[in-house]
Amino acid sequence: MRVGLAQIATCPGQLSHNWQAHLWAIQEAKKADADLVVFPELSLSGYLVGHGVLELAMDLEDPRLDPVREASREVALLVGLPLRLPQGGIANAAVLWEQGQVVGVHHKLYLPTYGMFDEGRYFVPGQRLVPLPWGKGKLGVLICEDAWHPSCASLLVHRGTDLLLIMAGGPSEVGDDHVPLGMRRWHWLVGATAITTVTPTLFANRCGWEEGILFSGGSWALDGRGRTLAGPAPVGEPALLVATVDLAAARRHRSLAPIPQGERWELWQAHGERSAC
Amino acid sequence: MLKLPAVDVPLLAQALAAFLAEELRASGLSRYVLGLSGGLDSAVVAALAVRGVGPKRILPFALPGPTSSVESTQHAIQVAEQLGLALRLLDLGAPAQVLAQTLGCEGDRLRFGNLMARLRMTALFDQARAESALVLGTSNKSEILLGYCTLFGDQAASVQPLGDVWKTHVYALGEFLGIPQAILRKNPTADLWPGQTDAGELGFDYLEADPILYYHHDQGLGEGELVALGFPQPLVGQVLATYRRNRFKWRPTVIARVSASCVNVDRILPRNPRP
Repeated sequence: MRVGLAQIATCPGQLSHNWQAHLWAIQEAKKADADLVVFPELSLSGYLVGHGVLELAMDLEDPRLDPVREASREVALLVGLPLRLPQGGIANAAVLWEQGQVVGVHHKLYLPTYGMFDEGRYFVPGQRLVPLPWGKGKLGVLICEDAWHPSCASLLVHRGTDLLLIMAGGPSEVGDDHVPLGMRRWHWLVGATAITTVTPTLFANRCGWEEGILFSGGSWALDGRGRTLAGPAPVGEPALLVATVDLAAARRHRSLAPIPQGERWELWQAHGERSAC
Repeated sequence: MLKLPAVDVPLLAQALAAFLAEELRASGLSRYVLGLSGGLDSAVVAALAVRGVGPKRILPFALPGPTSSVESTQHAIQVAEQLGLALRLLDLGAPAQVLAQTLGCEGDRLRFGNLMARLRMTALFDQARAESALVLGTSNKSEILLGYCTLFGDQAASVQPLGDVWKTHVYALGEFLGIPQAILRKNPTADLWPGQTDAGELGFDYLEADPILYYHHDQGLGEGELVALGFPQPLVGQVLATYRRNRFKWRPTVIARVSASCVNVDRILPRNPRP
């Protein structure tokens, strides 16, 4: 299975500009024979949309999504967008398209609302965490902050996920190292997620600037033993990585190092029961 | 004594140049205008902008007033030549004097200094309109935190690339970008009256203030903790008093919210929306 990671720069509220960035990545991915292209969080709308979500949110039949639908006839696409919910409210969503059809949706579970983040103000949190079934494997989708709660990756892998896909809009700061601080934090996290779940983990991050906020990129793909499959992509520049993921090797890794199977769920359960009391 | 943490200067320069490129693209405008004062901050901003959008998309202006030093204009010329920029000179001396006379502030150097800063702002925004340009600001983080600026004067700009960069790091950026040593070595000044320096007015210099501001503003240490860590009490008191006194300048205006759709309160929207 070949998976493209699209590290693109987006602009909040500039849908055409953002779609052009998607198209570039899709063309590159097709040239590299990718089966699937993964985009960053809120890739279509831009991340720092604020109350702009009221205009930018779409339902899955929105004509603004026609180009995505069409492009997915040639390669599967996992795209980030603000998704209008039937009962009202807007989800920070990842939508998987294949052959012009929506085949899976994940709503971000953890909406950071601290420091520079204000997502709880604009979005409603997801309520379900299940792998998205796809022809070539089960995809465990984590949107940015979801990945900072290790329980999400653990649960997804426990439920049969073949590979973890992290769609990020990870802001960064400039510190004392040539690697931006945000990218360094993400690389620790992506590495820890891959090796503790013993599952291929692929990280697609946005790059560039939105509303004065720096996004550092550094997209990266690792196998379940921490070996690099592709990347890391350069700091701050658009890039398309393609990782070849060997699911047979991934299963072999989990046989040799059955760490996720050893998860002590009864400890979680006991904690949950104590908390409920 | 605790120091301000270091920053990776090449990465900072690369990131800020990319920021300037993206802000211009997103705005749909064609170039930047900025005032080249002959000082370090505007020289660094100009050099970053050259890296981000190229010299042809930058229109620098020297905007001397009646009391500006000749050296300032000479340094502005030197920076423009080094960066391959076509410097334009607009002498604001005569209009400044007319306006000062009309307002009756000729003898008051603070009022006259503010008037000069706002005249420069007026000139830059006018030229930006004429040239389909954005106004590039040159304030740094230390100045902003201390409120060492003229409200709606030098503080007014469309884009502030150094607004989150400590003055200590602006020096490092200046070295990295090859800003002439004469500019790097001279004392920071708003050049609003002869002999004026930032340190003379503030009572301390930025290199002293930056670590105190960092450990207070960024790390959340209180006055007592800073003194316990070895910062001199009088300096800490003076820096933090300035930091508190001028905070209103961080948010230059306050809108009275009387509906549920108040701009920037109930409706925080992207700056540059387009279909």
